[in-house]
Amino acid sequence: VTLLRMALPSKGWEDDVLRFLGQCGLRVDRSNPRQYRARMRGLPTGPAEVVFQRATDIFDEVNGGSVDLGITGYDIVAEHRSDEDEILVVHAELGFRRCSLVVAVPEGWVDVSSVADLAEVAVELRTAGHVMRVATKYPNLTRQFLYDRGMTYFELVEVSGAIEAAPALETADIVCDITSSGVTLRENRLKAIAGGVVVESQACLIGNRRGLLSDPERLEATRGLLELVDAYLRSRQQVSITANIRGESPEAVARRVMASGGVAGLRGPTIARVFPKDPSDDDWFALTVVIGEDALLPTVEALRRAGASDVTAIPVRYVFEHRSWTFEALKRTLHGLADAEREKTTA
Amino acid sequence: VTQLVDRPAAPVQRVRGTNDVLPPGDARLRGLESRLRDSFEGFGYQGIQTPILEPLELFLRKSGDEIVARMYAFSHWNRRLCLRPELTASVMRAFVDDLQGHGLPLRLHYAGPSFRYERPSRGRSRQFTQVGVELIGASGAAADAEVLHLACAGLEAVGIKRYRLVVGHLGAALQLLAQLGMTDHAQGLVLDQMEPIARGRIDPEAAVARVVNLLGGGTGGSTNGVATGEVVPDLPSALASLPTEQATAVAADILSRASLPVEGGARQPRQIIQRLLAKASRPDPTDQVRAAFDFVDELHAAAGSPERLERELRPVLHRRSLSSAPVEEVSAALGLLAAYGPLSSKAEVEVDLSLARGLRYYTGLVFEIYVDSADGPLQVCGGGRYDDLVRALGGREAVPASGFSYGLERVDLALGPSAEPSGRPRVLVVGVTAADHPAALAVARELRVGSLSVEQDVRLRGVKSALRYADRTGVDLVVIVGEREQTDNTAVLRDMRTRTEQHVPRGELAPRVVEALT
Repeated sequence: VTLLRMALPSKGWEDDVLRFLGQCGLRVDRSNPRQYRARMRGLPTGPAEVVFQRATDIFDEVNGGSVDLGITGYDIVAEHRSDEDEILVVHAELGFRRCSLVVAVPEGWVDVSSVADLAEVAVELRTAGHVMRVATKYPNLTRQFLYDRGMTYFELVEVSGAIEAAPALETADIVCDITSSGVTLRENRLKAIAGGVVVESQACLIGNRRGLLSDPERLEATRGLLELVDAYLRSRQQVSITANIRGESPEAVARRVMASGGVAGLRGPTIARVFPKDPSDDDWFALTVVIGEDALLPTVEALRRAGASDVTAIPVRYVFEHRSWTFEALKRTLHGLADAEREKTTA
Repeated sequence: VTQLVDRPAAPVQRVRGTNDVLPPGDARLRGLESRLRDSFEGFGYQGIQTPILEPLELFLRKSGDEIVARMYAFSHWNRRLCLRPELTASVMRAFVDDLQGHGLPLRLHYAGPSFRYERPSRGRSRQFTQVGVELIGASGAAADAEVLHLACAGLEAVGIKRYRLVVGHLGAALQLLAQLGMTDHAQGLVLDQMEPIARGRIDPEAAVARVVNLLGGGTGGSTNGVATGEVVPDLPSALASLPTEQATAVAADILSRASLPVEGGARQPRQIIQRLLAKASRPDPTDQVRAAFDFVDELHAAAGSPERLERELRPVLHRRSLSSAPVEEVSAALGLLAAYGPLSSKAEVEVDLSLARGLRYYTGLVFEIYVDSADGPLQVCGGGRYDDLVRALGGREAVPASGFSYGLERVDLALGPSAEPSGRPRVLVVGVTAADHPAALAVARELRVGSLSVEQDVRLRGVKSALRYADRTGVDLVVIVGEREQTDNTAVLRDMRTRTEQHVPRGELAPRVVEALT
């Protein structure tokens, strides 16, 4: 049996990624937390093999094919991609570890508030015989970003350790670094500038093109994974509401509820007869509807107006649609690639 | 139990966008290159070679953002290097390095691979071969005409007779940009967009928006964080009415009271504050940029046959009170070009003063040559005048120069499949047994005169196997030497094309082989 092999990020990522998988219904078992290998259970096709690695190494592992899938930061994927790699971004937005790669300048550059200003300052420095030095751990993204904005006269500085400290230490003039709250930038007396977001990032799922193309069993396991991920992500901030409501018929209840507004749910409410303890109480119906969390109180109010009571609300854990759209998209991409490959060999 | 299997190693893929040039393509491209360079030598040009690997700085100086963004650049042991994206800057670096004392004009021709990281397509690879010339130390129409003529003559020499020469002059656009008072930075951004617009890669409105955005305009005034539409002027615009010295002092004082440290490593506080104030008093660049692109559009609309220079283009420049020198220079160069003798009857000449090349260093007349192909017009040649490059590369004095280069693979593509050369006639010499091999070697040596390509059987698997090889690979004649032939002092001459063979005396072998092949 071929097991699906998946790389998960360790170090600072571990808690977030295990929580995410747990919410998707996937459990990672390992004998002790220092173990690099583990089993992930919860897929219908059987357990998957898991290796823990640094987020930055996961791109290479998936690219090299020693694992089929990996979870890592989109910023890392964007930085390491080439037009000849084996990487497919299977799911670009897993919804956690959000951050941005931004260009930041010293607070003291009060004249610089946009990238256009920065381009001018680069010219000014160049005229004065100084090349603007940019400290970053993302040389490819940074270079391309600056090129695309008409800046070519700069130097990328490799810094080991804290990027944000480079301007204060005078090893660089500006930085291009990851930030989520902006606190670290402020603490280092740096400021982000308008139009200076290089890439918005969050955790993403990547896969090895060849691996997924050549092994139907692993592809099927991937489908199971994506079903759970899609259904979990779709379910977030959704609640399922059930209420008891009096009426002459399901149709009459539905009319009243719809008229009171805001109770549409994913498709519309489900209304079913309640079989009462007290036979004289036989005009009760139960109404079920799934709504967004932020619409909870308005919906309860609307239901009350329609005569409802005993409203219960429970968080929804999964919303399975007709099919996993992410997997459909993956299949289309793989088919496209397979066709292109065939064309290349017959040409 | 792990079973060790002797699996073949995975094949190593070639780098995307690069090509292996296989036989007979290699012979064809080399032939093409040497015919082009021969035609340059006929005009007194001498060959030069420069390294493929160059310091990145060479191209940062003057090539323009469009090229720089497409370079293969990297650090190697802390040295910033790149693969050359073109050869002109390299040739001019070599000129500044070693040839400044040389008598001028200096005529150089070159050929070699160049590298650009672009989306590969038909006629566009990431590695391609430039073949071209530089005419260094001559300005004016006579020099421009020589370069134009050389570019056309080279193509005609290799058999391309149907082509379109488009001649332009950057002087028109450069004058207007200066008249509009645009900064060098802004001028560069506009010039960079001219080529993509002309090629339809970007819509003019989008180009305006892009340049304005890169210049930090289009937001309705100051970008200093004060919301637009507020009646209260922001600090910098309020200070702009004071003399510079006072304004700088006031600004510095306010910033220090707000305990904002105005310091920025390589930048002086004074510089920072002055730029802050200068920025506030600067007009929004949108109108300037739009005016520049409108002008480019007007120039393009007036483009066409050379008669339009006087009829259409001169008035366009006149209306804007720009000097008509570009019109006169193009006109004079085209006049002299005609004096070199007529171009091929299928050649067309067009003038278009909106023509801009992808490189920033051009200053005067520029041109491109197109050949029609199945996928639309194919640019096979481009060049022009670049009078500022020597200074930018550290030359002692300004030296005018012009030149052009062909894309060798594109010239080859333009020639089409009919260009396949017949190749040299091939002869194979075979010994009947391994013992006959030394005798066969002697026969081969006698035959290896003139342009014959004489192969030697080295696998020594006998005549039958050698004939099979000859059949499969298109050998014309096979000479067979065995024990009997050595005693008779003869050889068997087999014609693979007619499948006939005969005994030939050794003394007559060479002439008979030549005869059979002609």
